[in-house]
Amino acid sequence: MAAYVAHYLVMVGIYTILAVSLNLLVGYAGIFSLAHAAVYGIGAYASALVALKLGLGFWGGLLVAAVVGACAAALVGIPSLRVAGDYYIVASFGLQVVILTVFMNWTDLTNGHAGLAGIPRPRVFGLVIDNPFKYVVLSLALAALTYAVCRRLTGSAFGRTLRAVREDEIAAQALGKNVVLVKIVITTISSALGALGGSLYAHYITYINPSSFTLEESIFIVSLVILGGTERLAGPVVGAFILLAVPEALKFLAIPDTVAAPMRQILYGGLLILFMFVRPEGILGRARARSA
Amino acid sequence: MAVAAPIMTIEKVSKAFGGIHAVEECSFDVPPGLITGLIGPNGAGKTTVFNLITGFLRADGGSIRYKGEELLGLAPHQVEARGVVRTFQHLRLWAKMTVLENVLLGCRTPVGENVLTLFLRPGRVGAEEAAARERAMEVLRFFALAGRAHELAEDLAYPEQKLLSMARIFATDAEILLLDEPTSGLDTDSLQKIVPMVRRLVEHGKTVLLIEHNMELISQLSDEVVFLHQGRVMARGRAEQITRDPALTEIYFGV
Amino acid sequence: MDLVLQLLATGLVVGSLYALCALGWGLIYGTTLHFHVAHGAVFALAAYYAYVGQKLLHLPLLAAVAAAVLAAAATGLLIDLLVYQQLEKRGAFRTSIFISSLGLLIVLENVLAIVFTPDPMRMDIGALGTAVIIGPVFLTYLHILTVVLAAAGYGLLAAFLKWSRWGQAIRAVSSSPEMARTVGINLGKVHLLTYAIGSAISAPAGILVAMDVGAEPFRGTRFVLLASVGVIMGGIGSIPGAMLGGVFLGLLENLGIWKLPSEWQSAISFGVFLVFILVRPRGFFGRTIHSAEI
Repeated sequence: MAAYVAHYLVMVGIYTILAVSLNLLVGYAGIFSLAHAAVYGIGAYASALVALKLGLGFWGGLLVAAVVGACAAALVGIPSLRVAGDYYIVASFGLQVVILTVFMNWTDLTNGHAGLAGIPRPRVFGLVIDNPFKYVVLSLALAALTYAVCRRLTGSAFGRTLRAVREDEIAAQALGKNVVLVKIVITTISSALGALGGSLYAHYITYINPSSFTLEESIFIVSLVILGGTERLAGPVVGAFILLAVPEALKFLAIPDTVAAPMRQILYGGLLILFMFVRPEGILGRARARSA
Repeated sequence: MAVAAPIMTIEKVSKAFGGIHAVEECSFDVPPGLITGLIGPNGAGKTTVFNLITGFLRADGGSIRYKGEELLGLAPHQVEARGVVRTFQHLRLWAKMTVLENVLLGCRTPVGENVLTLFLRPGRVGAEEAAARERAMEVLRFFALAGRAHELAEDLAYPEQKLLSMARIFATDAEILLLDEPTSGLDTDSLQKIVPMVRRLVEHGKTVLLIEHNMELISQLSDEVVFLHQGRVMARGRAEQITRDPALTEIYFGV
Repeated sequence: MDLVLQLLATGLVVGSLYALCALGWGLIYGTTLHFHVAHGAVFALAAYYAYVGQKLLHLPLLAAVAAAVLAAAATGLLIDLLVYQQLEKRGAFRTSIFISSLGLLIVLENVLAIVFTPDPMRMDIGALGTAVIIGPVFLTYLHILTVVLAAAGYGLLAAFLKWSRWGQAIRAVSSSPEMARTVGINLGKVHLLTYAIGSAISAPAGILVAMDVGAEPFRGTRFVLLASVGVIMGGIGSIPGAMLGGVFLGLLENLGIWKLPSEWQSAISFGVFLVFILVRPRGFFGRTIHSAEI
């Protein structure tokens, strides 16, 4: 039972990293991305590959993951963020599809559907993190660090500029803010942090394959952010705690597997619609006075 | 009459949309340290001129020089960096942010806005933010808004919102301020707040170029006036001259 | 050379499907500015409506298809009426509309997956499946019909928008909602009409694919993504642009297979898209966007 709770907490830590980094983009910058699972996957594969093929340790893997994630985001962001916001939705949608294609078909590198196994455990200050309890500490520590980084960003002049850009980018330009640069920077940071989550995941489960990084996964991460609330940085954390408990709850209802997967999706999709009607600001958001 | 060199020259600037010539061969100078009013009937192209100067629209031809530097072709944030700021007719305040934050966004905070220095030089970031806050409060006091610093911009009364839109551009330290209809939508009482404020800007050494609709206010507000009609400069001169010219008054009120 | 001709032909067929999707999605986006990803669900539903019509209600093929198109139009209209317009009444932001659309797409697709299973549901197409061989190119009558229908659909839509009163109303709203409102156009009704027509014109694409390879619950997602890419490349607000964008994508994908493995099709389209918006963001025929208020 304790091991089970530990596993839950590790996953909460990982999804906190994913959801908080996505919130930087969706909640603070007002840029919608459907590619966060692709970013998650990039982090996982990059980290796993440098560990398996180059023998690089966990920390090196984290760094590589962040860099590769950042580059992918910049590659997509630079052309599409110069134009109106909806272009990025399409571009991120496309990125998600392409990255998944790469994972599935560049078999020389990624082993395709078979995935990568035998990813080594992390070594932290000489200690090997080889059981769920030690992993809980690592996961929550990294989650806390990610949260702290995001907090510093949002509380700064940069964060203020970000919010201004989201609310009215023309006014922001008139006051000297380089709106395109701000958007590219935040997209890059959001992806770098999201990729860290992937790295953590890869070294925890020690086996990764493409099916963990699909569009459905992107939507799940979006649901975490929407449920918890985009206004507060802590919102997605609440979302993570709640939504990660759902698959476990569903298991109790003894639904056959073929139906369980679509049912989960219906639940997440339904939650998105419901929240837009009932509480668009999410659980932690301040209830807005409904404008006329 | 001051014969100082103009701080900004607009020369033969043109802009057409489809078949409509919004601005055509428009030329005028902006003298430093004075209030120049851009007036004319609706659709004369006044806001278009503002958009062209500040880079929100790209002129089809001509030249816009500020202190000798060409502004044509620059993006809006680059124009601002050169010291030219504007307000908007519809204000465009950041409604969900506080009054203080609106002004802070006008202050110079390059260290806090750069992500690298944000994490690597926390000391400088802290000092810069503290200095910016002080400056912002000073600006708010100048505009008599200091008491509302922590309220949301959307909760302010309309005249105060207009003051806020001027406060935030004032905080940028730009030398030339472009005010788009600073008096529109205000009743006589509120005008008492705004009109002297515009004068005080000039007393602080700023140059003001403003768009004004109200012929009566023109004489109060402007030193020099540029009369625009159908995208062309019809007349320019001292405010009293222009407002008394019957031909111009006819154009303004006529048709 | 033979291979290239075959790929061109297939590309034209696939391009016709994308064009139909792009026309419908582009009409909706250009008029309402809703990023209606649930259009992918309408695409999938249309296929199942036809399937149910033929296989469960035993309607003749033509009747099943016609009924399916009408049902799809109604579905699109209802989505706007019951979801988007309700959200707009509550003062929702555009992102909220998009998120609800995303939610709808997921819910509807997965309901279909539960009801019909994810396996393709095949239809009887009789003589339409007969092969036609033109030189080295192999097609079926269905494929040729697809191209014809896309051209016809485009023609009908263009004519409707140009000459009918409602079509002109749609164009007015698409060009400037504020102006349209001031001349007395009822935006709510125009939106509903736009959704009905947009869904009706894309429905045949879903049905044709189902007739060819079977109805599948998740295919719509890919089609709506490609439709949006086609619309952006063709230029937002341009009907000929959407048509051209869709056909272009179909040709691109298939010619890409000539040199690259077929799994990389999407990567090619997407890569071209990115380069395209770097170089010409407003697309082939896009209108220059004037920010209304500055």
